[in-house]
Amino acid sequence: MPPGRNWTTEDFRLDPSRPLYEQFTEQIRAMIAKGELAPGERLPSVREMASGLRVNPTTAMKTYQELERMNLIVTYRGQGTFVTREEEAIRRSRRQLAQEAVRQLTETARSLGLTPEQLWELAREE
Amino acid sequence: MEMKDRSLEGKPAIRCEGVEVVIRKKQVLRNVSFEVEAGRLAGLLGPNGAGKSTLLRLLTGLLPPDGGTVELFGRPAGPERLAEVSFLPDRGQLPVYLSAGEWLGFAAKLYPDWNRGRERELIEKLEIDRAKRIGSMSRGEEARLQLLTCLSREAPLLILDEPFTGVDLVSRERIASAVVGEMADGDRTFLIATHDIREMEQLFDCIVLIGDGAVKGAYDVDELRQAGRSVESCYREVFA
Repeated sequence: MPPGRNWTTEDFRLDPSRPLYEQFTEQIRAMIAKGELAPGERLPSVREMASGLRVNPTTAMKTYQELERMNLIVTYRGQGTFVTREEEAIRRSRRQLAQEAVRQLTETARSLGLTPEQLWELAREE
Repeated sequence: MEMKDRSLEGKPAIRCEGVEVVIRKKQVLRNVSFEVEAGRLAGLLGPNGAGKSTLLRLLTGLLPPDGGTVELFGRPAGPERLAEVSFLPDRGQLPVYLSAGEWLGFAAKLYPDWNRGRERELIEKLEIDRAKRIGSMSRGEEARLQLLTCLSREAPLLILDEPFTGVDLVSRERIASAVVGEMADGDRTFLIATHDIREMEQLFDCIVLIGDGAVKGAYDVDELRQAGRSVESCYREVFA
């Protein structure tokens, strides 16, 4: 999303059978983790986000509440909502994402009777 | 926002209880009960001929029920409540010989709750050409003008009957965006009747499914999704 512009429906992939705010939260969290959204970058207002994505304003509000709870975004009264400048918060979020990925990998490995390391090696075998 | 009667706060915007309608010996609505909380965007979904339009005529006070109660914000619906309801009728016709601008001039005088500022904002958002004659508009342009007429009022309850019928994709998207913008502005309540859920699926926060004149189910959309279901899958299960 170029600065000063709003999100469009093209920026997200949505599954209509999962809560939308969860999916927006995950995908914006990933954008922040990747640096696609830079620290301090301004985000659209709830109204702009809802209107641009054509979702219920409650969905946009819940998304921002979740991201605020994770300390990934901050809202300054009268100024708007921004990606946090606190690098520690972003690092923590990246670590949690990594932990979640490893947890899933471990589960897959276990279902094959392997350790994650064995799974990795097996996948790389010629 | 506008004047509010404190005693009615917390009352649902719409409440139907055991509503019955019989037209020419035919039972059109049978024991219809549901509620829509104020501030929500509710979808009234069902196939053609399910009784949606009849139900909307009750809500807008154009038709009295043969049984049961219909309440808006805690008081009975009826013609005297028209000031609180902004209604977009299905296949409504605006005067073809007027230009969009002339029509809006009349509408501003006709409705005491008309908001000129909002009208100007929506003319831009919905891309209405004030100089264009209504008779020479496409279905999509006319639908946008009708929606503008509906949204420029300050009525707390907006009822839209099939706002997307025969409307092109770009107009459908503009209409959905404009509805969202209005929602975000305050505590207005929307009830949108449609059999075409495409553009609206992501907008609804609750849905009422109606078929053969009876309520087949009412759901909170977030709860549906928590359970791994979508609005569309729910609609299919009920009506397929």
